[in-house]
Amino acid sequence: MYRSNNMKIRMMAIVMVALVSIATVGAMSAEDIVRQMDALETFDTSYAEGEIVTTDRFGVKTSTFRSWSRGAYDSLIEFTSVAERGQKVLRTEGELYLFYPDAEELIRLQGAALRQSMLGSDISYEDMTGEKDTLSQYDVKLVGNERISGRDCYILEFSAKTRTVAYPMQKVWVDTGTYMVWKGEFSTKAGRLLKEMAVLETMTVDNRTLPKITKISDKMKRDSATEMRLSRLDIDVDLDPVIFTLQNLTW
Amino acid sequence: MTMKLIHVAFRNISRNRRRSLLSGIAIAVASMSIVFLFAMVQGMRDDMAQNLATYYTGEVRIRNAQYEEYERYNPIHLTVDWQRIDQALAKRSDVTAYVPRILFPSAFYVNGGNHPAVGIGADFSREAEYSDFAASIKEGRIPDAGKNEMLIGSVLARDLKLGIGDKVTIISSTAARGNNAMTLEIVGLAAFPVASLNSQFFWAPLDRVQHFLRMDNEVLEVLVMVEDDERKAAAAIKADLEPLLGSALDIKAFNDISMMYGFIELAQYIYYFIGVFFLLLGSTVIINTTMMVIYERMREIGTLGALGMHGKELTRLFFLEGVFISAIGAAVGVLVGAGITVYLGKFGLNFTDALSGIDMEISSVLYPRFNLWTTLIVYVYSVVISAAATLIPSRKASRIEPVEALRYV
Repeated sequence: MYRSNNMKIRMMAIVMVALVSIATVGAMSAEDIVRQMDALETFDTSYAEGEIVTTDRFGVKTSTFRSWSRGAYDSLIEFTSVAERGQKVLRTEGELYLFYPDAEELIRLQGAALRQSMLGSDISYEDMTGEKDTLSQYDVKLVGNERISGRDCYILEFSAKTRTVAYPMQKVWVDTGTYMVWKGEFSTKAGRLLKEMAVLETMTVDNRTLPKITKISDKMKRDSATEMRLSRLDIDVDLDPVIFTLQNLTW
Repeated sequence: MTMKLIHVAFRNISRNRRRSLLSGIAIAVASMSIVFLFAMVQGMRDDMAQNLATYYTGEVRIRNAQYEEYERYNPIHLTVDWQRIDQALAKRSDVTAYVPRILFPSAFYVNGGNHPAVGIGADFSREAEYSDFAASIKEGRIPDAGKNEMLIGSVLARDLKLGIGDKVTIISSTAARGNNAMTLEIVGLAAFPVASLNSQFFWAPLDRVQHFLRMDNEVLEVLVMVEDDERKAAAAIKADLEPLLGSALDIKAFNDISMMYGFIELAQYIYYFIGVFFLLLGSTVIINTTMMVIYERMREIGTLGALGMHGKELTRLFFLEGVFISAIGAAVGVLVGAGITVYLGKFGLNFTDALSGIDMEISSVLYPRFNLWTTLIVYVYSVVISAAATLIPSRKASRIEPVEALRYV
């Protein structure tokens, strides 16, 4: 008898949790999901170290880097591997600048140049330093749910509001629990697939689940894929504001 | 009898002066055109061979064996070991000169925008031994080794409003399959004979380009000048170098590399056929004139037949007339053609406007190449074809019956 009551209570609890979940899901608009997704990827400040491993028809190439970011708009990447040592990519005030130790001037990337491959990888400069205010650039639609890597995900479709974005159409799979993007497909307006992204491994930092290893493949290149592997990620660290200035870039 | 026929043939030529002149001019124009055409093709071929050897491929080019397969992906990491190749080539008696080169696509960062340009990393001290490189300097000087300097094509400099003393940042992919940028100072403007070299290319010291492209002591290609047959030399160098370097190399003669050069070689044979058609076209005038002469002189033919002249002799008579007109016309045509060729061979034909924007290894100013043997062959060829053409109407004269011919008014 006791067992039977216990079963009933348990069943009721499960139903209630399910109903609450459904109600919560129903209440979440696509925009809310995107806000949560952007919030997860945006830090007041952060410092990261990692490597970019590109595999193509010529073999495997590894470049190491360290990066600093502040909010949604400022970021600095410095390459530390021998072949690229000292090269830096700064994104600030909506502009992207490249610093090369052998060049006497900074190179400002704009327009189509932002879509150039970074260090021959499948990642463009825009992918690496892209702004994280998705809703200002895209209209979003929730089109369904799917399980990815054993996790329930929302499927969101984005269509660009402006012509200035790298990918006019995006389809992303966002974790319903952590709001981390597990998978992404980036296409032209006509639907031609340009790039694919998938998270292979995650890590937990400051109670947030974040990508540790992300695989990106540029569909315009044959037999090419790039893995971005983070070995260290510190959130809300003290950063000197000077890091994100042009003056600092040339030091 | 033959002497008499020759005499009669000459007399007949002078009796129909205007028609003879017309036939002769047709043959002369055809012969002149062929002599000039062949001289132009020969000139283009020689010019292209010279440009290929000097600027693009050498007489023999040494590259990494995989480079050609992946060329469209700009595989500048597929290099060759310059030091070891240098040591091996220095010992070869059939090699007269050789230079290391690194050809790399890049962009000039000028006024906030990227402009495509092709860079050549070169050892300028060796370039001086390899070709008359200094003669291409229009203004300024050759860049110094070890310094961030460049020599730029004069048209590229003009298009980007750059001059001596200006600094340009170049951006390119590296042999480490990354990107890099470097600032170079323009110290010289170059004017090469090939239009594309002036509008797309810049030259920088080999050591700085190696540093920029992360190449250590590697180069992309070695261009070699040889004493004898290029194909044989290429095979001999390959047999020598591959075991020494322990890796496969792509070693080819220039005439096996350039598709355009192959086309020009093929064009030469096509022009031989075109020459035959030119002459056949000219010969139709002779056929027409001879036919008209035959009908005009029908009574005379009848009289000659009635007096006992055989059909074969009549054929020979008209054939000889055709041969003489052809021989004189062809001689005049060949001489005029040779004269024009020699004149233009000295002063050149300027195709700068026509070739601007065309990516070919041909110089903007072309010099037709006079060749005595070719000219003599064209002469013989013209006489034979034109004379053979006169056989058609001449044989008609032999078939005319004297009785019928005498009825002609």
